[in-house]
Formats: sequence, structure tokens, C-alpha cells
Amino acid sequence: MTEATTTIENKTGIHARPASQFVQKASSFKSKIQIKAKGKTVDAKSILMIMSMGLVKGTEITISADGPDEADAVAALKQMVDDKFGEE
Amino acid sequence: MAEKMKGKGVISGVAVGKIMLAGQNLDGYLKDYKPKKKADEKKVAADALVKVAANLVKTIEDLNKKDMKEQAAILEAHRMMVEDPAMSAAIDEQVDKSGSAPRAVLDAYESQAQLFEQMEDEYFRGRAVDMRDVGKRIAKFILGIKEPEIGEGKVIVAGQEIEPSVIAGLPSDKIAGVILGQGSTTSHAIIIAKTRAIPSIVGVGDAIEKIADGDPVIIDGDTGDILIRPTAEERASYDVKIKKQEELKAHYAALKELPAITTDGVKVELVANIGSPADVDAANNYGAEGVGLFRSEFVFMGKTDIPKEEDQFKEYKAAVEKCNGHLCVIRTMDIGGDKPLPYIQVGTEENPFLGYRAIRISLQRRDLFMPQLKAILRAGKFGKAGIMFPMVINVEEFKAAQKMVEEAKAELVHEGKDYADNVQLGIMVETPAAAVMTPILAKYVDFFSIGTNDLVQYTLAVDRGNAQIAYLYNHFNPAVLRLIKRTIESANKEGKWAGMCGEMASDPNAAILLMAMGIKELSMSAPSIPKVKERIRNISSAKAKEILDKVMEMEDGNEIKAYLSTIS
Repeated sequence: MTEATTTIENKTGIHARPASQFVQKASSFKSKIQIKAKGKTVDAKSILMIMSMGLVKGTEITISADGPDEADAVAALKQMVDDKFGEE
Repeated sequence: MAEKMKGKGVISGVAVGKIMLAGQNLDGYLKDYKPKKKADEKKVAADALVKVAANLVKTIEDLNKKDMKEQAAILEAHRMMVEDPAMSAAIDEQVDKSGSAPRAVLDAYESQAQLFEQMEDEYFRGRAVDMRDVGKRIAKFILGIKEPEIGEGKVIVAGQEIEPSVIAGLPSDKIAGVILGQGSTTSHAIIIAKTRAIPSIVGVGDAIEKIADGDPVIIDGDTGDILIRPTAEERASYDVKIKKQEELKAHYAALKELPAITTDGVKVELVANIGSPADVDAANNYGAEGVGLFRSEFVFMGKTDIPKEEDQFKEYKAAVEKCNGHLCVIRTMDIGGDKPLPYIQVGTEENPFLGYRAIRISLQRRDLFMPQLKAILRAGKFGKAGIMFPMVINVEEFKAAQKMVEEAKAELVHEGKDYADNVQLGIMVETPAAAVMTPILAKYVDFFSIGTNDLVQYTLAVDRGNAQIAYLYNHFNPAVLRLIKRTIESANKEGKWAGMCGEMASDPNAAILLMAMGIKELSMSAPSIPKVKERIRNISSAKAKEILDKVMEMEDGNEIKAYLSTIS
């Protein structure tokens, strides 16, 4: 399993648009991917689960992946969050 | 021959278009649905998810081609909600419970919607609507109900009940008319139709089930007539009326930029009643010079918790900005036991209209009132705002409210937030007690706005919804006219201003009387503005004064009504 922790920095947090970008990216990997934040762990391929966490700016999240492409998956998703989903 | 139906015309005008069925109630379909074994139902649901997602992909491609990026993005989010791995598991679980695929889909998205409604962030709470929309879309697919499509040409939206989002979500130049099965004239769909002057008919009853999607239809909002699949002759018989309507529309459009001023130079401000910031755009199209009544209820309805200052601020700011420097009067919460909300526990009352409501609640619930006052004060910075308190019956209530406004300002200073210091404070004069006390109240307030709908009801002790005594409901009743005159004169005497935001303000004959009494502002649903303006522009204030003097001598409301109808 590969893991990485980062903080959400884009102004609006993970709203619908960033959430859908995130899920699309996550779904392109074979590994099982999860997000951990605020003491909860959810499936990173579920837009509903991700949105229901209410990830606003400043929330710390841990992305973990388990499977054949786990390293790539974690790196790509962390990059996306760190790039503020292309906002600003 | 066309198939004919009749309902109650509530918004005038003739409309021609194709039927678009909306807001179907799925109950009947669900009852008729024959579920198979649970394993089969799970497969039905899973297949539906795949097909609905595929249909959405096609629609999204089309929208992107037409450069409708906004709508495409919304549907893209819907598509992901359909394909969400968490949902297929939740649906299977629901099939185990109810045994029916369409019901399971509805239930699964409903519980997801409820989860979102409890969230703190306004944006996420708003997504509950999308969840329900998606659930309904899939259930309809399983039940074999086609999605309404807007093709070329105009549509007449029809349904037993229509969700307000359906009308709000369609481009306004696409909707020619509205037909509702149920009879309420105050449903949200009708209120939205009113601000856009869309011809509408309600109370068609179960006959509405006979109307099919795509049927060509003519509706007459004046008579309540509905003609389904009209012949060429029937269509032609409406040509004269439609032509006249177009001419009148053009004539009114020409009035848009002109002021409401009498032939001898007395000016009255004609402003709009609105229910949401978006209504200001429509109001501006009718030449409204600001907003005389912003019903803030929509900020409170459908919420599970007290609306936050920040969320309210955004709405008020949008409305104030759209008024382009004209005054925007925002009425504070006017809710009571008739529309219970989870965060306002009113309890059961025998007569909610004489009960714990409006300002009576606000003054006792600091947690509710403060965020609203602070949000309005802050919004005032972006133009010109006024705060209006509803249901006031005495001076003490106004003073208490005024004191809370001062406290709200102090809190804003403390929090380092910017606010406008020139926000006007006024009351709605809608109780006989307030009208009688206006000579005293006028010393304290900045303005009065006469709410005739309630003032007539409370003064005459007549419930206007009661058909048996509806004949008694008359805003020209001499008792009512005296209270109105007193209110306007009290304001003018103290150098304050009086306006009106009840339905009476949209009656051109009443407008003449009110102007002669010295009213400064008339607030109404925007489509009424041109006809009132036309009446004012064609009369002198001297002549209006003559008419008023005559009216004030008359002893009976019906006599006054009859007299006024002869002079127009």
C-alpha cells in the first residue's frame, strides 16, 4: 500500500467540479483507492462519498492506494490536490 | 375538433405551444409496477444505471457542442452520481427491503439527499436537490416514462404539480404557458410564472392525466380554456387576441423607460415585489425602479437549520446590486405556525395567523434575527437597502427591533465587517392597530409600507380564501380606505414616506386614489407595472384628487368599485 498526506488549499474546497475531476482521475487506476479525512475513510472513486465529507479549504487528507498501480495513483491524485485543481 | 378542458386562469394571456409534461407524480406508476424476484430487480436497477449514464453522456456531448457549458457541467455531476459505486450497493440494499427496483432507486437517492441536507456548507446542502433529481430520472427510466425534452419552439409546461426548479431551470423564452392540475394559486411554480408573466391555468384536476407529451395546445389565461390539438380554424380564432396581446406588449415595452408621472407632474415610484434575487432582472425589464418588498422567506424555507449570516448576505447583496442604486426593501422573516420549520418550534396553534409569527418570533429569537439583520446591513454597502418589519402592532415592537439593529451594527464593528449606516428602517402596516397608531409610529420609522392583503383581512375579519364570504373582501371598503389614508398622511406629516406592497397596488384604479392620498411608492409583481404606469401618466393629480374626494364621501365599498370602473 502507498500513502500520502496533503492539505486542501483551493479556495472553494472539494466542491462538485473538483470532486468530479478527482473521481475521474481515481477511476482511471486499477488500484483500490481511499481518502481519509476528519476520522472517516471513503472510496475515492465515489463522488458522493467524497462530497459527503465536506472537504473545505484547510482540511488535511490522506490518499491511500492498494493495487498494481498504487504508486502512480497516489502521486497523480496528490498532484491534483496540490495544484488546487487548476483553480486560481 | 380540439379536446377542450377548463381550469382557473390565474395569469392572463393566450399561449400557443407544445405540451411538455413535468413534475409527474410517480406514485401511480409505482403502484402499477410489477416487481419480479429480488435478484431480477437488482439486475433491472443495475441495467438502468448503465443506460441512464449512457443517455446522459449523449446529452452532455450535445450541450457541449451548443456551447452550453454550464448545463453540461451540471449533467456531468449527475452522471457521476448515477455511476457512483456507493449508490449501486445502496440500491441493492433497498431492493432487499422493498423488492421493487424503481422504489429502491428513489429510496437510495432520497437517503443520500437527506445526508447532504444535514451538512453545514450551504453549497453541499443545495446538492440534495440534485440527488432527488437523479433518483427520479433513473426511476422514470425503469418505469418507462420519457424525459421531457425541449425541442424547437415554445412549450406549455403541464403537470399535476410542477417543481419550481422545473420552471426556474428552463430558459424563459422557451416557456409559453403553464397548466397545473392542482388548484393552488400560491404554489411556487405559479409565483415564478407571475414574475415572468407566463399565462397560467390551475385547477384542471385529474383531467390533466389525459394530456400527452408533445400535444399542440392553446391556453387562455383569461378564461381558463385549454384546447388540445386545435384545428386550423380554432387556432385562427385566437389570432385576433394574440395580435392584440402582442401590440399591448409592444406598447408596454415602450413605456419601460418613461417615469410614472401625472400630466401635471406628480411622480410615483413603481417598484417590484420579489421572492429571490433573480426576480430583479425580470422586474428591471418591466421598468421597475427598485424593490419595495423582497420576501426573505425563501432564504428560510426548505432549510433544516437557521440560515447562516454569510449565506443570507450573498442573496441580499445580489438583490441590492441588481437594483442599480434604487432602494431595495428587504422584509425580515414573515413565517409562523402555518409553515412550520424545523428550527422554529411554534407548536400547534388554533389560529396561526393570529399567533406566534413574523416579528413576534424574530424579537424573541436572537439566534434567528441577528444573522438576518447583520446580513442586510452588510448588503446595504453594495447599493441602497431598507429593512422592513412585518406584523408590527405597536411602538414597542418597532423600538425593540430598532435596538437589535443597533446591536447588530455593534457586532459588525466588533467583527471588523463593513456595513451601511444609512439603511432605512420601516414597518409593514398590515394590522389595524398599526394603521391606527401611524401618527405616533411615524415619529420613529423611516417609512411605512401598507400590506393590503392582510390589512383588508384583519380589518374586515374576512378570510379571503373562504369562498362563502369572499364577496366581503374588498380593498375599496371605506374602513380600509380610511386606514390607508391615515397611514399615508401620518407619514407625510412627519416628513417620512409611505408606500404599498399589497395586491391593491397593482390595481390601476386604486393607484389613482393612493396617489391623490399622497403615496410615494407602489410595489407590485413586475408585470403589473406597465398598466399602472399607463393609468398614472394619463391623469392629472387635480383630477385624481376630485375622484378621491368623491370616493371618500361614499358609504359602500361596492359603490366605490362600481364608480371607479366607470371613470377609467
